[in-house]
Amino acid sequence: MKTLNESATGKAIDRVEGHLKVTGMAKYASEFPIKDKVYGQGLNSTIAKGEIVSIDTSEAEKLPGVLKIITYKNAEKLKTFDNKMTEVSTTTIAPVLQTNMVHFYGEYVGLVVAETFEQAQYAARLVKFKYKKDANPAIHLEKLRAKAYKPNDKSDYSRGDLKAGLAAADERLEVTYNTPIEHHHPMEMHAVIASWDNGKVIAYASQQIVNDATIAISDTFQIPKKDVRVVAAYVGGGFGSKLNVERHVIMAVMAAKMVGKPVQVTVTRQQMFTNTSLRQHNEQKMKVGAKKDGTLTALSHETLSHTSPTLEFQEACGLGTQMLYKVPNNFVTHRLVPLNIQTPFAMRAPGEATGSFALESAMDEMAWKLRMDPIDFRVKNDTQTDPSNNKPFSSRLLVECLRIGAEKFGWKDRKTEPRSNKKGNWLIGHGVSAAARSAPYLKTNSKVILVLEGDRVNATVQMDATDIGTGSYTIIAQTASEYLGIPVEQVKVELGDSNFPVTPGSGGSWGAASFCNGAMAACVNAIKTLKQNRNIKEEEEVELADLMKKNQLTKFEAEGSAGPSKEFDEHSVYSFGANFSEVWVDKDTGMFRIKRMVNVGAAGKILNPKTAYGQIIGGLTMGVGMAQAEQTRIEPNFGNFITRSFADYHVPVNLDMANINVVFLPEDDKIANKMGVKGIGELGITSVAASIANAIFNATGKRMRDLPITPEKLIEAKIEPGINI
Amino acid sequence: MRPFTFTSAENTMQALGAVKGNSKYLAGGTNLIDLMKEDVERPEQLIYISKLEYNKITGNADGGLTLGAMLSNAETANHPEVRKNYPLLSMAMLSAATAQIRNMASNGGNLLQRTRCPYFFEVSMPCNKREPGSGCGAKNGMNAVHAIFGYSEQCIAVNPSDMCVALAALEATVEVQQPGGGSRMIPFTDFHRLPGDQPEKDTNLQPGELISAIHLPKSIFSDHYYYLKIRERSSYAFALLSVAAGLQVNNGVINKAGLAMGSVAHKPWKLTKAEAFLAGKKPTQANFEAAAKLEMIDAKPFKENKYKVEMGTRAIVRALTQAFEREA
Ligand SMILES: Cc1cc2nc3c(=O)[nH]c(=O)nc-3n(C[C@H](O)[C@H](O)[C@H](O)COP(=O)(O)OP(=O)(O)OC[C@H]3O[C@@H](n4cnc5c(N)ncnc54)[C@H](O)[C@@H]3O)c2cc1C
Ligand code: SF4
Repeated sequence: MKTLNESATGKAIDRVEGHLKVTGMAKYASEFPIKDKVYGQGLNSTIAKGEIVSIDTSEAEKLPGVLKIITYKNAEKLKTFDNKMTEVSTTTIAPVLQTNMVHFYGEYVGLVVAETFEQAQYAARLVKFKYKKDANPAIHLEKLRAKAYKPNDKSDYSRGDLKAGLAAADERLEVTYNTPIEHHHPMEMHAVIASWDNGKVIAYASQQIVNDATIAISDTFQIPKKDVRVVAAYVGGGFGSKLNVERHVIMAVMAAKMVGKPVQVTVTRQQMFTNTSLRQHNEQKMKVGAKKDGTLTALSHETLSHTSPTLEFQEACGLGTQMLYKVPNNFVTHRLVPLNIQTPFAMRAPGEATGSFALESAMDEMAWKLRMDPIDFRVKNDTQTDPSNNKPFSSRLLVECLRIGAEKFGWKDRKTEPRSNKKGNWLIGHGVSAAARSAPYLKTNSKVILVLEGDRVNATVQMDATDIGTGSYTIIAQTASEYLGIPVEQVKVELGDSNFPVTPGSGGSWGAASFCNGAMAACVNAIKTLKQNRNIKEEEEVELADLMKKNQLTKFEAEGSAGPSKEFDEHSVYSFGANFSEVWVDKDTGMFRIKRMVNVGAAGKILNPKTAYGQIIGGLTMGVGMAQAEQTRIEPNFGNFITRSFADYHVPVNLDMANINVVFLPEDDKIANKMGVKGIGELGITSVAASIANAIFNATGKRMRDLPITPEKLIEAKIEPGINI
Repeated sequence: MRPFTFTSAENTMQALGAVKGNSKYLAGGTNLIDLMKEDVERPEQLIYISKLEYNKITGNADGGLTLGAMLSNAETANHPEVRKNYPLLSMAMLSAATAQIRNMASNGGNLLQRTRCPYFFEVSMPCNKREPGSGCGAKNGMNAVHAIFGYSEQCIAVNPSDMCVALAALEATVEVQQPGGGSRMIPFTDFHRLPGDQPEKDTNLQPGELISAIHLPKSIFSDHYYYLKIRERSSYAFALLSVAAGLQVNNGVINKAGLAMGSVAHKPWKLTKAEAFLAGKKPTQANFEAAAKLEMIDAKPFKENKYKVEMGTRAIVRALTQAFEREA
């Protein structure tokens, strides 16, 4: 049964929740009108390592409105980590205020609860901590190489013999790339309103995965999972920072119990730097060997990075290097150094965004060494079988992405020789890079409720999925519209409540595929059951309203669930893409402008070209940020972040963005999942920075291997002969 | 934020009269309120001055222009007289912040905006400017955005304003109203000060003094001008370094050059040697380079801001070149 209509999947309809958002009716975590709520303000440590020796709350306690000051001295005992390093996940507990030990600068050391937000903020200034400071906090990755360790079995990978591969090469390259600490900085800061009712917790919280949030909260407090409800109806961006439960949520839940009132904690923009996760600094050493004809003989990728003293996170920078090109000799390692910095965690395309900068820059460097066109070089080493596990790709249109992109971009007019394209004060360059992002697909449950009103059926789809600004509401509504055969206006989608059927939530680019297949399953089940009940053949076309009438039903509910097939497991399932950039570098100032970008993606069925386009331009923008300016800088003597607001953590502005052409290649991949949907949220950022750095090389003849590429660095690289003083 | 009292002044007398203890004038609030939220500024009283009468732009008898201190940066930069006769000022002002901030920011407030040194903004860090005697965190720390000229042992911060760089090049004068009544004029180059032993003082204003106007001398740079601002993104970022250049050229010879550099010192850095060198010379690349070298030879950078020496040299040459080539 399939009644195609104007709002079905594949149509570029407007966001179904758009009006709610632009009129301020969509409620974000801190906006729920909870009666009698009070406010918590987190207190941050001002040392990177050491211990609290005394706390003076007397002045703060005297202030009007102050209800409670919670520190390790009076905090509720929570489940804590055992001694060995725990790998951080989306369900990891978040113990807070449990000891007097400080592990990083800005760590929460207390919470002030007061009747108003202003009172809480003021009182927070008056609580005085005295510390015994450790003289040598671990904050310099470069100086602590010797402490690097191998986190787990997934850290290393090899095939063939790297040494032999390098020996067999005609050209060899060994270079190191650096990507800095970055912060997610979604527009909506992390926030929660928590309350207790009859021993049960309800938390309105800005989270990407509500089910995992209930696990983390219940586990931290050692209460049954069923006693915790998390609501995240609208989430103003996450980029990975809201995958797990951060400590403000736990503090709010704890405080709500202690003061007997709902407690709201909103993380300030400054605290977004210290009390949410981050993308860690990666130092990536690449070795590449190739024959004169462009055949890769060896490829290695060694990543040195950091984690916190208590928890472990390893960003898989080398994953792409294992699977993207057909190279017989491959070697990948990941090493971590524990630093007195908070635990890093997934940020948009973890591993791919950063790893692709190293891999796709190195590919460009090798192409130039070989004097080979960088597209031809990549095509030469293309493969339809994933060399890391010998599974066939379910679909792989990388070559098509590169070729079609080249055409749209006008690649043939590019000047191959660096510094040969000048206009006035500008040095002009063109760069290309390839992108691959796995397209995970996870088990998803959903429920559909059909209500017959006159001749029309209104449907409500429920699942605990979230819409983090990506368009989940819209594509789920389109899916239901398609499989129920009713216009999208008759579909209501309800998300972000842990009382709804369990989904994997938003993250890892699995949302669209998982949610829509899950919704489809419920809709298909509904129709199937209604037909079976009346002995109607499955292929027979019957309007949903008629079907309800034939069943003499005015209300009907069905559930469904979908998940990866055996075929899925037998394949490597990825989205592919190509990025093209034209960059104009000012020869005197070192400032550059990205004039044009072309992004071609092969990411399965595009459910809604409008929201998909939004995802890609969002990814490209973040990629530009990565290339151009985003960087969190650590103070070398104190270990705090000196970038602490948007005035100094520079994300791109409109003027930085190029003229963007986004192209989706049609792809029908039913191995990926029944609907043929692959993720695109993270494909968009993958390898963008490399295409820009490669364009800068083409423009200036200088290889910029450390992100971000700032005017300071370009001036220091001497892109133009200096004036001798 | 800490509690404070709020007084809204209807006129100058009221404003000046309200000053007591730790009071601060509040104009657009774009800098002061931010610093209060950061706990850097802790005034006990805010005296709101935006309703005062200094909200006009008027022509002067000597052919110059007077800019009211309460006028917004946007109104000033977009004013037809300013655009026509002082395009260097307009260009510098429009390169600052965002349209929204420029709508709020006042001319007086712009002159008094404080440094962007990250140690100054973080109250748990040592900073002599914020807390005299606590030390300077930047000197042996992160100093990529710090001074290369005129700093002291105590402080190496820079003045971040764009508007002030143009005002230095234009040789403006600041008019202030004094608490006891009366007013005084301060030449622009004497308005801001070098840190010396008192880095907590950004300017030579006396306690309670209120800026009422900025006077611009008769325009001479409306044909050849350029404001070059180098920053980490195309808009909405403070300058890593900037140059305001004005040239008065008669018969192929530079009659007078007005030059100042931003984000290199505790005050807008007037390039007096270059100005003197260029007077009477031809506007050639060689002369521009020679002028730039004369200034930059004195630069003494720190570990992280060495780039500013070469950037500054190129920026002077580039700004002069663009100023000269610009068709009126
Ligand atoms: C995110 C951001 C980006 C920015 N980017 C730039 C930039 O790129 N370039 C740039 O130049 N500036 C930039 N600014 C700074 C901006 O220009 C200043 O904040 C603004 O000019 C200050 O004016 P105001 O009226 O808001 O001052 P307020 O914040 O009201 O006051 C600032 C100070 O001046 C005092 N004051 C104000 N008026 C008077 C007066 N008439 N007499 C005596 N004292 C007075 C106040 O007491 C206070 O100490 C930026 C600001 C922000 C927040
Ligand atoms: S440079 Fe000046 S403002 Fe910065 S830390 Fe040193 S004293 Fe403070």
